[in-house]
Amino acid sequence: MTIALHPLRQRSSDRLWLVLGVLVALLIWELLARAFAHTYLIASPVEIARYLWANAGLVARAAGITGLTAAIGFVLGNAVAIALAALAVLVPGLARMISALALVVFCLPLVATGPILRVLWGPGLGPQITLAALAVYFTTFLPLMVGLRAAPPSWFDLVRSYGRGRLTALIEVRAMASLPYLFAGLQIAAPAAILGAMFGEFTGAERGMGVLTLRAMRSLDVAGTWALASTAATISMLAYAGLGRLGQALNTGPPPLILAPLLEGGRRKGWRVLAHPILVVLVLIALWWLSMESAGLSQFFAKRPGDVWAFLITAPEAAAHRATLGSALLETLVLALPGYLLGLALGVGLAMAMVLAPRLARAVMPIAIALRAIPIVITAPLIVIALGRGATGTITIVALMIFFPSLIACYQGLARTPRQVLELFDSYAASPLRRMASAQFPAMLPAFFAAARMAVPAAILAATTAEWLATGRGIGGLMALTASTSGYGMLWSAVVVLAGVAVAGYVGIAQIERAVLRIYGAEQLTR
Amino acid sequence: MTHHSFSRRGFLAAGAGGVLAATMGARPALAATDVALQLSWLPSVQFGGSYIAQSRGYWRDLGLNVALNPGGPNAPVEPPVVAGSALMGISAADYTAAAVAQGAPFRIIAVAMQKNPFAIASLPAKPVNVPKDLEGKKIGMALANTPVLKALCSLNDVDFDAIEIVPTQYDAAPLLAGQVDCLLCWETDLPVAMIMRGLKPITMLMADYGYAVQSQTYIATDDSIANRRADLIALLRGEIHGWSDYLADPAAAAALTVKMFPDAGLDLKTQELQAARQVPLMFSPVTEAHGFGWFTDDSIAANIKTLALLGQDVSPDLWDRSLLEEIHAS
Repeated sequence: MTIALHPLRQRSSDRLWLVLGVLVALLIWELLARAFAHTYLIASPVEIARYLWANAGLVARAAGITGLTAAIGFVLGNAVAIALAALAVLVPGLARMISALALVVFCLPLVATGPILRVLWGPGLGPQITLAALAVYFTTFLPLMVGLRAAPPSWFDLVRSYGRGRLTALIEVRAMASLPYLFAGLQIAAPAAILGAMFGEFTGAERGMGVLTLRAMRSLDVAGTWALASTAATISMLAYAGLGRLGQALNTGPPPLILAPLLEGGRRKGWRVLAHPILVVLVLIALWWLSMESAGLSQFFAKRPGDVWAFLITAPEAAAHRATLGSALLETLVLALPGYLLGLALGVGLAMAMVLAPRLARAVMPIAIALRAIPIVITAPLIVIALGRGATGTITIVALMIFFPSLIACYQGLARTPRQVLELFDSYAASPLRRMASAQFPAMLPAFFAAARMAVPAAILAATTAEWLATGRGIGGLMALTASTSGYGMLWSAVVVLAGVAVAGYVGIAQIERAVLRIYGAEQLTR
Repeated sequence: MTHHSFSRRGFLAAGAGGVLAATMGARPALAATDVALQLSWLPSVQFGGSYIAQSRGYWRDLGLNVALNPGGPNAPVEPPVVAGSALMGISAADYTAAAVAQGAPFRIIAVAMQKNPFAIASLPAKPVNVPKDLEGKKIGMALANTPVLKALCSLNDVDFDAIEIVPTQYDAAPLLAGQVDCLLCWETDLPVAMIMRGLKPITMLMADYGYAVQSQTYIATDDSIANRRADLIALLRGEIHGWSDYLADPAAAAALTVKMFPDAGLDLKTQELQAARQVPLMFSPVTEAHGFGWFTDDSIAANIKTLALLGQDVSPDLWDRSLLEEIHAS
């Protein structure tokens, strides 16, 4: 037993730590709730239990319908993610295009997509399922892309020496190599699906956890609000644990030792470097236009590329529009960037701490999942109360939203350190810190960069959602205002600008990643 | 009551095709026309009159099969009405005016809330009884509503700059936590929640201080008004019938709402209080004389004046009373 990395490897002392962690969390919670009882913000565990007892049927039915929509969205979204990743690996020429499309679609804010989905689907569960699927596919797609490449080049040589092609390599080598990464992605996706389904209910529904939460918050029903949040968190934790167990059962082999040759310069020819992004943008614009036209969506609320162009460039008031949008964007980015860095640092830091002190993992993991799974509608006002309506509150919300995916991805990445390497360190009696710095940290880098890329759109979504729900400022506040006053020209311009920022951030990190992985994870840069 | 709930069940089944209702022994539905009414919020007694019309079969008797589509915080009413997935929607004069300014072909064809439900809620320790009391106070509200507050100030000669705006979620907690002195909210929701928790909020209805913006207005597109006039009139007739019943017994409407939406987390006492509090907003001597939904030329003029203060340039063409007039003529 060199190192205990698997989150679910249970020993009796670990169980004790888990129970202890939960108990401490409950105690802190109870004390906080009592201290802040007059603020109508936090309910104590006892009050929550009482509410659940009295309203068991109501909560169970709501959890059933929201859980069902989340589950369907989870399956569909992840199926799409797996299909996209497989396609990107089978047809490497499409990889960039697929990543760009996946990123941009993930960036679309709920304020813009919600009403459109409702019009397209009509009454029923359509928008809830779609939003749950949209909330999960990207966080599965990215780790999966890493995993599909996380195999020693010699294995691919072997496939080739049998005269087989990419498909065989995908099925025989890549699929197995990617399983741990896939399950890390699925675990991240579980709470996201629940949140997506709840936000979907905001587009018009008669039942579900989102409906009940909204009702409870507005009627000052603190016990109800927190009982619903706890239920959502519990469902997420169960899904997380179940997926973890399944992943562990399927993941039989130890992480392989990957020795990939350092990549030589190998830059692509000048025209392709230029042409590629332009082509991606053109395809995006064409798809945008085509999807709206083919669905016959009214130009009143489904603005086309030409409308946005006119709004921002050619209209008489275009300069004023740009100024409004620009200052709102700046206001948001000033908060999103520190939140992004903080959340990412927390995720990596905690993942490493959990590897160095495995028992910490048992105690911290449930809290981490709960923090992510409690709907932002409930946490946002709390954080704002605790930290004020200034910068700190929004930064904290952003950090909280991206810390969990980063933690899971990095923790899983650390677990991919080849056993041979660890044994070598052990045989030299290297200290855990030394082992972390020289073996585990480099092994984690591909997963870390996937997390860093994944967190770019997540940070923007979190910042704009916090602005939408709590502070009313920045580009999130602007989008909420324009959606309610039919300012769809501004809304879609904001969508375009946000997507542009997300792509720019993503590409920037991918550049750093290339430079770093050239040394530490060259297999990731090959096709 | 049992009779009504039975026919409602038959009615819901008819949603699948109408044939089922006939086989279940309900009144044979003759090829009812499917139409949707887009509500502006989650199910509550706010739409009590519509639920009455639905459950008592008023629309079915008029040959309509009506779907009452729920709204929500991320469900603007205008897109489904423009797209035609809802024949009629429940909006408000300011939202409709904004949509029309953006090119949407809407008209207001009836008005449910003659008086705007916006109110300033405060607690007795630091009351806001009249607009002047706002000076020197901290108000919690969505930043998006800043023009509303400005309009109230200019209507009542209040120094807007003497008020501190604190952006908050739509929630009474910031007031109770002492973060703000008052809230901009609806007369019929957050104050009701506070009363239900044993608090004694003071509300100042903005409509009593010159803020004339009709709310819960019925909107339809020009195209529907021209080409689906009969359906619209039938839809409005059912609404008027339902809301007239509502006025006769608001508590029954609350009970019906709770019964119809067992999964919406509605509390009967809260719904009863809300039902009572919205009566004075929806019914007046004008509706007594002309019927539910009616609006006068004076009301239009007052709305145009307030909307101008909100920065919206509106002409009387925004309103179309011809459907209500037709209903009255017959």
